[in-house]
Amino acid sequence: MTDMPGPVSRLRYPLGWRVMDALERGAGILWPRALHRLTGWLLIAPALLLVAVLCLGLWRIAQGSLHVLDRATFLPAEAYTLENYRTVLDSATYLKIVWRSLSGAFLTVVFTLLLAFPYAYMLVRTPSPFVRKALLAVLFLPFFIGQVVRAYGWLIILGNSGVVNDALGLVGVTPMRLLFSFPTVVFGLVQYMLPFAVLLLAPALTAIPRETEIAAGSLGANWLQVLWHVTLPMARPGLVGAGLVVATLALTDFAMPAMLGGGSQDFIANAVYDQFFRTADQGLGSALALVLVALGSVLVGAVFAAFGAGTLAMGGKR
Amino acid sequence: MEFSPGVRAVDNASFDLQAGRFLTVLGPSGSGKTTLLHMIAGFLKPSGGEIAINGRPVDAVAPHRRSVGMVFQKLALFPHMTAAENVAFPLKMRRWDPRGIPARVAEFLDLVRLGGYRDRRIHELSGGQQQRVAIARALVFEPELLLLDEPLAALDRKLREEMQLEFRRIQKELHVTTINVTHDQREALVVSDEIIVMEGGVIQQYAPPLAIYRQPANAFVAGFVGVSTFLDGVASPAGMRVGGTDCAGRQALPLAEGTPVRGALRAEQISLGPAGDMLAGCDTVLPGRIADMIFEGERLLYIIDSDALPGAEIRIYHHDPTGFDLFEAGAAIRFGWQAQDLKIFKTGRKEPTGGVLQ
Repeated sequence: MTDMPGPVSRLRYPLGWRVMDALERGAGILWPRALHRLTGWLLIAPALLLVAVLCLGLWRIAQGSLHVLDRATFLPAEAYTLENYRTVLDSATYLKIVWRSLSGAFLTVVFTLLLAFPYAYMLVRTPSPFVRKALLAVLFLPFFIGQVVRAYGWLIILGNSGVVNDALGLVGVTPMRLLFSFPTVVFGLVQYMLPFAVLLLAPALTAIPRETEIAAGSLGANWLQVLWHVTLPMARPGLVGAGLVVATLALTDFAMPAMLGGGSQDFIANAVYDQFFRTADQGLGSALALVLVALGSVLVGAVFAAFGAGTLAMGGKR
Repeated sequence: MEFSPGVRAVDNASFDLQAGRFLTVLGPSGSGKTTLLHMIAGFLKPSGGEIAINGRPVDAVAPHRRSVGMVFQKLALFPHMTAAENVAFPLKMRRWDPRGIPARVAEFLDLVRLGGYRDRRIHELSGGQQQRVAIARALVFEPELLLLDEPLAALDRKLREEMQLEFRRIQKELHVTTINVTHDQREALVVSDEIIVMEGGVIQQYAPPLAIYRQPANAFVAGFVGVSTFLDGVASPAGMRVGGTDCAGRQALPLAEGTPVRGALRAEQISLGPAGDMLAGCDTVLPGRIADMIFEGERLLYIIDSDALPGAEIRIYHHDPTGFDLFEAGAAIRFGWQAQDLKIFKTGRKEPTGGVLQ
């Protein structure tokens, strides 16, 4: 083939291109063309596998929840029974824990969104790149520290001889017990959830054109009316998405109630932990865990039904 | 309005507009026309000067307390409301009697010919219908002034021309004082009672459409509105001299002989004939050659080279469909014009006429 154009025969493709070509040939052998319409399934297979393992675990927990602990042998009894669920429902303590988890999650959502909305709004609307970067840095700093270390930080700040009580002492206020109370747990949760909420709200606020707010102003709305009639309704998908994520994370949280509640402010996850690792009553722990899963699912389902999936719908049905 | 020290987006842009008139501010992008509009609406504060609406200074009045309706470039409709709710919004915000609102909303939706679409969401409406909602919303509360911030720029040509006539019809029907901002010279000529041509934050000319087109105040206006051929030369008693060629023309202001000048000739005001034709009625007749011809549908555009006018690219419109094949590319021709049609301006500094309607 002497009539091949000269430049082509002399041309050597860059190494990166040749590596890509070789990879593509290899992929062609491992995954022939005929299978290409299944490529999507191949790519989500690992995720599906993960969910399947999770379901398997859930199934084992469901099975475990149907056996009571035999106090003689400290092994689950053979007989199938709903006794564990009755224990949960009859126990005033557990109902109180469930109620505390739900109200704690609810208050966390309310306060987190109240704080996150102005933060995200500022982040999105500020004309200064410096302010935007500063706001992001401040937001992420506690993110990097981790929940347990952060909770420990609060112990130092809020303890009986902590920073806050020292400061109060200077103005003559007697030291008070700030730790191990319900408000402190909610406070810790809000502080923990704020970055999640801001990051979920920011894209929704970015999608609201500044011009729309200006237009509302020129049509006669003051800033409060603009916020109420235009910005908040248009930000609803973001508020719903952020609220859902915060609610599920707070409802199932373990570290904040454990460390800032000091055993007196347990959430459901703490009760589950106690049953599995302290009392070794796996049946009761499993029943509690399933109650938690059910609560979370019903909550999310109810919000989806009432408000749509918000930003979590990824632009699908609203 | 100063953005940064020394840079003025709008500089000394004083003008008066009579109530009930339709004014268009015409200029290329970056000429300061949107800044001017945003200052009138109150979104920007001028660093100096005064804005008054119906005789009352509004500089200290917040945008939501001004009686100014605005149609925005991207419309800025509320996507979470229906067409009727969008139109009702300013009435609710401005505390109109709630019992009267539905009837008034219906009246204005009828005015913009959207009577049957009141319960549609914004995304269920076409681009033209969204325009109409935006117009109704800006007008429903009886503003003293209507501002249009290039709302037609994003539409395709056919819809744009339809909406231009709609704006004109609605404005005539309501007699609302209107300031429109655009870079589309055709739109400015079609819709306006008066036109301000802006460039570099400075008003170049303020005149009715016909005067803008026929008596441009300077070379910029002559070039921005309509298609013109420019000739560079020096002033002479009969008009101007380009190279060794005398060109009959009218000087905007009497100029000393030898002053550097620029002449502008409208493409439709140059006559064209075969070689040897004397072109009766023309004050200057020159030989040339057809360099190119461009068919534009309703007219033919000839591009002419002439040794008598070195460097100039002469553009001539030919509107007679029976004679479209009269000349071929390369053919020798003669072209000419009447003295009154060659407008001669001093080059260099622009000569803004300020805000006095001519």
